Amino acid sequence: MKSTKPSLALLAVAAILIAAFLTGMAYLVIESLRAGDGWGWDNFVYFFNRRDYVAVLIRTILVSVLATLFAGLIGYPIAYVIANYKRNRNLLMMLVIMPWLVSVVVRTYGWVVILGPKGTLNSLLISWGIIDTPLRLIFNMTGVVIGLVHVFCPFFIVSVLAVLLHQDKSLKEASQTLSAGPIKTFFNITWPLSLPGVITGSILVYLLSTGAIVTPLLLGGVRDGMLATQIYQDVLQVFDYPKAASMAIVLLLTAFLLVIPLQLLERRVAARMSGRGA
Amino acid sequence: MRVLRSIFTIILFAFLPLPIIIVVVSSVSATGYFTIPLSPFSWRWYVEFFTDHEWIRLLLVSGAIAILVAFISTTAALMAALVIDRRKFIGNSLFETLIMLPLVFPNAALGVAFLGLLGLLGVSGTYIGIVLAHCIITLPFAYRPILNSLRKLDPAIEEASMSLGAKPSTVLRTVTLPMLKPGLISAFLFCFIVSFDEATITVFLIAPDVTTLPVRILTEIQESASPVIAAIATFLIIFTLSLVLLLERTTGLELFAERESTA
Repeated sequence: MKSTKPSLALLAVAAILIAAFLTGMAYLVIESLRAGDGWGWDNFVYFFNRRDYVAVLIRTILVSVLATLFAGLIGYPIAYVIANYKRNRNLLMMLVIMPWLVSVVVRTYGWVVILGPKGTLNSLLISWGIIDTPLRLIFNMTGVVIGLVHVFCPFFIVSVLAVLLHQDKSLKEASQTLSAGPIKTFFNITWPLSLPGVITGSILVYLLSTGAIVTPLLLGGVRDGMLATQIYQDVLQVFDYPKAASMAIVLLLTAFLLVIPLQLLERRVAARMSGRGA
Repeated sequence: MRVLRSIFTIILFAFLPLPIIIVVVSSVSATGYFTIPLSPFSWRWYVEFFTDHEWIRLLLVSGAIAILVAFISTTAALMAALVIDRRKFIGNSLFETLIMLPLVFPNAALGVAFLGLLGLLGVSGTYIGIVLAHCIITLPFAYRPILNSLRKLDPAIEEASMSLGAKPSTVLRTVTLPMLKPGLISAFLFCFIVSFDEATITVFLIAPDVTTLPVRILTEIQESASPVIAAIATFLIIFTLSLVLLLERTTGLELFAERESTA
């Protein structure tokens, strides 16, 4: 028996915020179906008939998948090192969390300073005589992917870390007692058990990448925008809400296209693990 | 092999702080860039930042928005978490899902949705609109740490004070809330940081004379890339890092890797 029974009225403020959110989403869906004076799929037909928009859509998926992949390749080892660090784990955590909480705009500006034509890396390479003219490292897809990986990698690290820190240490010890080497132990025990974290982290990085604006705006070129920046620029130029709404819906579907299968996979992995009694 | 592995680890861990360090170094260089050969040391970008009324005004505006948002979201989340944790009502878990829902939408799509919502409510291009949007997106960040600390709370302590004759409101004020303090502090700081730094959604909600600091920085980088950005960025870095240190002191950083907070 709980000692206090709070009144349902306490839900009011949260309920108002939720209602506002749902209203906004419903309005988005309804407006996307507005066609002239009536209703229809016209906005979506228009979107998919424009070759440049379809190219932007494909680029959005490609860049987001690449960002997810690299965030995993960099993030997993970082999480692994932190989880297995015996001494001051908090210190290593700080190295991840501090950059994570620094403003996305500020961090992206950091990459402009490093990778820009007058930037740190180019000046370094020129002064060492490795190159004569500055390399084009930003204002293209490379820049966007680097920026997105940096900005969203901590989400991956934290997701994997949450799983690794809660792993049953005795499984690893048992594997080592049975004279399996560290590599074998990793692939038989640590990796399969960390899969739920890997999937959660991938979902987050992919989702955030598809919806990012700051990074593609500052590090991407004019000709290789992503869906989110395209929507932003269209809204700035001509305020056509139904058109923007339909593009936002396409963006939503693009995000869910990969997220939903991953979520199903996560559930299966989790079910299999609990089936094993792990 | 061992040396190789250490070098690899160091490079790996240097990746995240790298751009931040570079920004700090370039902010005190005369050119505003960190280039080789090094340009001379200079405070000029800080002088420019602190003597520009517009930057200072935006700093205060964003700070005020973030404090207001953190206060509203933390209060809303605390009240909701108390009910959801302690009362089994129909739609209990549905309500929780709805609180977390904004997290699973791409930010740009949220921006367009909020743009429509604010128009519908007649508050487009106002600070009220921006505060409302920020409250919606920060609510999940406030809810999780509060719920986590509520779950860790031992109900026996509350029961003991009840049986000693304390009224429910007294129990809440003198027992429950003080024990929830770490959760409340991290909720507040989280919301503050998220709101203070938000640009992706806010960029859809601004008007010519209604904007926030991160959005203004974003447009400034696009338009002129003035080196004063490096000074402002460094200021924000130091500010955020002190908030993180505060968080580490008060609640510890474990909450970032708690299972409940990521599942």
